[in-house]
Amino acid sequence: MALAAINLSEVSISFEGNTVLHNVSLNVTEGESVAIIGPSGQGKSILLKLMAGLVPPTKGKVLVRGENLFEISGARRQKLINKIGMLFQKNALFDSLTCGENIAFPLREVTELSEKEIQKISEEFLAAVGIGHAKNLYPDEISGGMQKRLGIARALALHPELIFYDDPTAGLDPITSRKIIDLILHLKSKNTSTLIAVTNDMNRAYQLADRIWMVVDQQVIDAGTVEQTKQHKDPRIRQFISGEINGPLTSMAGGE
Amino acid sequence: MMGVISDAGKVVIFFFRILGVWKRKSISSQLMFEQIWKVTMQSALTTGMAGFFVGAIMTIQFTMQMKDFGALGYLGGLATSTTIREVGPLLIAFMLAGKVGAFTSAELGTMRVTEQIDAIRCLGADPIQELVLPRFIAIVISSFFLLGLGLLLSIFGGILLGEVFSGVSFEEYLRHIPTIVSLPSILTGLFKCFIFAVVLAVICTYRGYTTTGGAKGVGLAVVKTAVGTMVTIVIADWVTSLLADITLRAVLGT
Repeated sequence: MALAAINLSEVSISFEGNTVLHNVSLNVTEGESVAIIGPSGQGKSILLKLMAGLVPPTKGKVLVRGENLFEISGARRQKLINKIGMLFQKNALFDSLTCGENIAFPLREVTELSEKEIQKISEEFLAAVGIGHAKNLYPDEISGGMQKRLGIARALALHPELIFYDDPTAGLDPITSRKIIDLILHLKSKNTSTLIAVTNDMNRAYQLADRIWMVVDQQVIDAGTVEQTKQHKDPRIRQFISGEINGPLTSMAGGE
Repeated sequence: MMGVISDAGKVVIFFFRILGVWKRKSISSQLMFEQIWKVTMQSALTTGMAGFFVGAIMTIQFTMQMKDFGALGYLGGLATSTTIREVGPLLIAFMLAGKVGAFTSAELGTMRVTEQIDAIRCLGADPIQELVLPRFIAIVISSFFLLGLGLLLSIFGGILLGEVFSGVSFEEYLRHIPTIVSLPSILTGLFKCFIFAVVLAVICTYRGYTTTGGAKGVGLAVVKTAVGTMVTIVIADWVTSLLADITLRAVLGT
């Protein structure tokens, strides 16, 4: 039986009395790619941050490689956190640091590498995502697509075994989106890591995922493989895929 | 009321969290000096000006009160003593709350809402150590220095207005300062400066670090920083005045 990279057991999250997720139980197998889809505001990013250890659950357990991320501390937690990489929805690049320094940051924090080695690795990562020329530029001096590439390079700098992508193609044109997904898959094939990505673009979800989850109505529906998702009977999943205006998701959103 | 108490408790917990990180982990001296330089340079001119005019205002006010009693000879000593012990630290700290406090909470708040703080955690670093601690130490050191600078310039403001407005010569103004401005007065003033600097540093970093809700949240954090700092400084002023009085009575036996 394959090892669980992530295990959520009866997890609930609430903010100021509003329940975002209720009694969610899920598993992600090592090396698997999962795409999380769902209408806006349903808690996709929260689910991602929960698994990355950034948002604690109100109830339930979050096990990452068999360890409860929110119950361990010190060096043990740090060791686990270092295995996690994350690309944020708006990239969350450090705007006071250059592109090269953005990648060097985690290397300086976590590793014992010399400055020369850090510089070399930074350059290699920038080249790997196709922005080698931008080493000395600041994030606000490069395009949105390049910022996304920089975010990916920074997320991968520590060779994480679990990678979370929060809407990696948000705000990008279809061609750049395609290139970014190709890049993510190329880097995944090299690292053999576990990948979980939030996306609202079904084509990218199909391209990226072994399995698809849909977050809706405080629950997470495991829609199965790409083929199973395409044939799924749940009317909410069918409406989301087809993009129809009328359906259960619309009535849920108050008929907007 | 419960909200205010809860907020105050959270600020205190945050303060001890900063101290805990400071005790456990090393801090980049380069980053800290950069912050000290930035805060000092940003605010030196305005703090100096504020200090100068506080001294000038105090001299005018004292002149109006004292000239009827023919006691203008004591103008320098009384105006300087009041400025150093009470009015100077308070007004200059208010100005720093608006300048340094607002800037820091907006900076940290923006980092929070753009997920840069989450990114730091994800990259294996501690945001308190990386972002909050250097700013906290820098604000305490710089604000203490700036308050001191402001108080020094308040004496110059007093001297100038004493000469121009009150007709009290430079020598006459200075002559009574040592007799009225005692060492305890200076120590009380400096102690207040230190306390105000800590209050400012902890509130602005806390408000920035805990910002939520996008651009509106950053605006709200800045407002809460300004209001919270000023109110807490007034309360801290009362407490430190009381403590200083009790301590001085105990030490000097007066």
